[in-house]
Amino acid sequence: MSEFFLQGLAEVSNLYTLAMITLGVIFGIIGGSIPGFTVTMAILVVFPFTFSMDPVDGIALMIGVFVGGYSGGIISGVMLGIPGTPSSITTVYDGYPMAQQGEPGRALGIGMLSSFFGTLISVLMLIFLGPLIAQFSMNFRPWEITGLIVFALTLVASMSSGAMLKGLMAAAIGLLITTFGYDRNSNLRFDFGLPALESGFEILPVMIGAFAFSQLMNNLEQLSSRGRSTDTPSKQAPAQGSVSIPYRRILKDIAGQKINTLRSSIIGGLVGALPGTGGSVANFLSYDQARKFSRHPQRFGTGITDGIVASESSNNAVLGGAFIPTLALGIPGDLPMAIMMGVLILHGITPGPLMFEQNPVLIGGIYVSLMVAAFAMVLVQLLLIRWFAQISRVPQQILVPVVLVLCAVGSFALNNNLFDVWVLFLFGIVGYLLWKAGVPLTPMILGVVLGKNLENQFFRALELDPSWTTFFTRPLSAAFLALALASVVFSLIQNQRIARASKASRTPPS
Amino acid sequence: MSTIRDRILATVVLGMVAILAVESGNIPDKTSWQMFDSAIFPRLLLGVIGILATLLWIQSLLASRRATPLQETREDSALTEAQTIEPTPEEYTARPRFHYQVPSLFVLFGLYTWSLPLLGYLIATLAFLIIAQALLLGVDTPRKWLINLVTAGILAPLIFVIFEYGLNVWLP
Repeated sequence: MSEFFLQGLAEVSNLYTLAMITLGVIFGIIGGSIPGFTVTMAILVVFPFTFSMDPVDGIALMIGVFVGGYSGGIISGVMLGIPGTPSSITTVYDGYPMAQQGEPGRALGIGMLSSFFGTLISVLMLIFLGPLIAQFSMNFRPWEITGLIVFALTLVASMSSGAMLKGLMAAAIGLLITTFGYDRNSNLRFDFGLPALESGFEILPVMIGAFAFSQLMNNLEQLSSRGRSTDTPSKQAPAQGSVSIPYRRILKDIAGQKINTLRSSIIGGLVGALPGTGGSVANFLSYDQARKFSRHPQRFGTGITDGIVASESSNNAVLGGAFIPTLALGIPGDLPMAIMMGVLILHGITPGPLMFEQNPVLIGGIYVSLMVAAFAMVLVQLLLIRWFAQISRVPQQILVPVVLVLCAVGSFALNNNLFDVWVLFLFGIVGYLLWKAGVPLTPMILGVVLGKNLENQFFRALELDPSWTTFFTRPLSAAFLALALASVVFSLIQNQRIARASKASRTPPS
Repeated sequence: MSTIRDRILATVVLGMVAILAVESGNIPDKTSWQMFDSAIFPRLLLGVIGILATLLWIQSLLASRRATPLQETREDSALTEAQTIEPTPEEYTARPRFHYQVPSLFVLFGLYTWSLPLLGYLIATLAFLIIAQALLLGVDTPRKWLINLVTAGILAPLIFVIFEYGLNVWLP
């Protein structure tokens, strides 16, 4: 374990990599602080810049964006009353009232330090749990890996609130997209006579198209109503010039929140490690737990330290947790991690248990980059907080065309091929229409990322043993498939309960 | 509304499944050294998608039948009530504008992609940024034009320089 760390430290300790992490943090904070932009979008925009870098530098830059992005949501949350990302919704509950009471600097400072500790605690979880899980999963054979991928996909699909059928359909469509072009036996599938389709669809333009277009168009559609609702807080927001950080007060605040920080960070780390959850779930869960354990639960939502600490330490802790299944099993749990896995694949690295043996330097580099990014995040926010507060007001009308251009350039830069820009456009339309039809896009994107591996493992299993029943007779494989079925059944029961409850609430009392 | 939407979605997906099922007939048969046909996996997925889309279709049909006339009347009356609320002058201008912006932006992006090899990155991107911002920001004040032209004039060349000289990525 210490070897990984030292090797990673040696790899990351150079000016260029440190500069990349800092740049990533700055861009991540900017992305996180602009309402509606989200961490995922920031990652997608930065991704093409890593093409010409070596894997460690590229991953370091991306990690900077991740860490900065998860912490950046607090800025617009505190200054404008609008969460910059979904994972900072509960930050607004106490951060904004505190700012309105004339202490925006204190709210931001508490948020920054909580994010910092949350990241560090989750990295420690990753350092201890990652290799253990990877060691355990070394015993996985094709049957188990197939079962695990099916479980991850069904879990994410069935957690799509109230849209399980659509979630499962989206996951299957994602898998189907990966069957275009040459297969593992060099047979051509679904090329429709077009030479450009012979090599299939690249993961990146499909992911960017489906996610970025639907997100940006959604932002545009919501602009009018959101603009109206944000008018009031914006006008009431504290003057930008008045943001000063009361360091002593913040240190005193944080010193009184040790257990809250630890508890919220562990919740964040564990939630992050579960597929299909992410920052917003961790955010609500830890906020709720902090309130339950508090001696003064009635003060939550009025601008108290406990609420900001619970919220910010948990959402940043998601990061380290989310790396655990991605690195140890090769299964990304959420959308940002699916994109991160796409980054690793494009740099020629296959995440999974073997990565700990084959790429120890990169694993160590990820650990160290996460820690360095946590330090850089605090420093950058302390130094540039006033500017970030201003940037968070960039209007979507300017942002949307610029991001679309960056998406097009990024897709083109992948292979210097215009066809990839057309793929981006095609999946932009598909993603937008699916989103309009209420289809969750995360299962589809996970399907695209995991599709090739699922097909390979599935047929490798059948080539080793042609009997289909082996999937159900091997204990671990059977357990994963049973869990997949259980996640679907659980979701069905839950949906029925929700339907019954809403029906009961609609029925007029007799 | 959502039941109709679901039915349209299920129908479109079933149509896609049918097209790809026919196209899967063109996938070459397995050779003597292959254990499995290359068409098995996509056909398996098409089967799963087909079943899920059919279930969605049935679910939407059942949901629309389950809606009682009482509920429908209530929904109708709520809609009528909402419709009769007089929109503010702001809403008058905002509603139709946001209605056409999204499809217009899609068309613009399609034109941008088409024009990239013809005009080259710089001209095509400048044109796209200026037109798209004009569409979204509006063109009613000189300030908006200034913001538009400054943003496009700085960002398009900046991206070009970063990719071409910083990252050694050739742009069209």
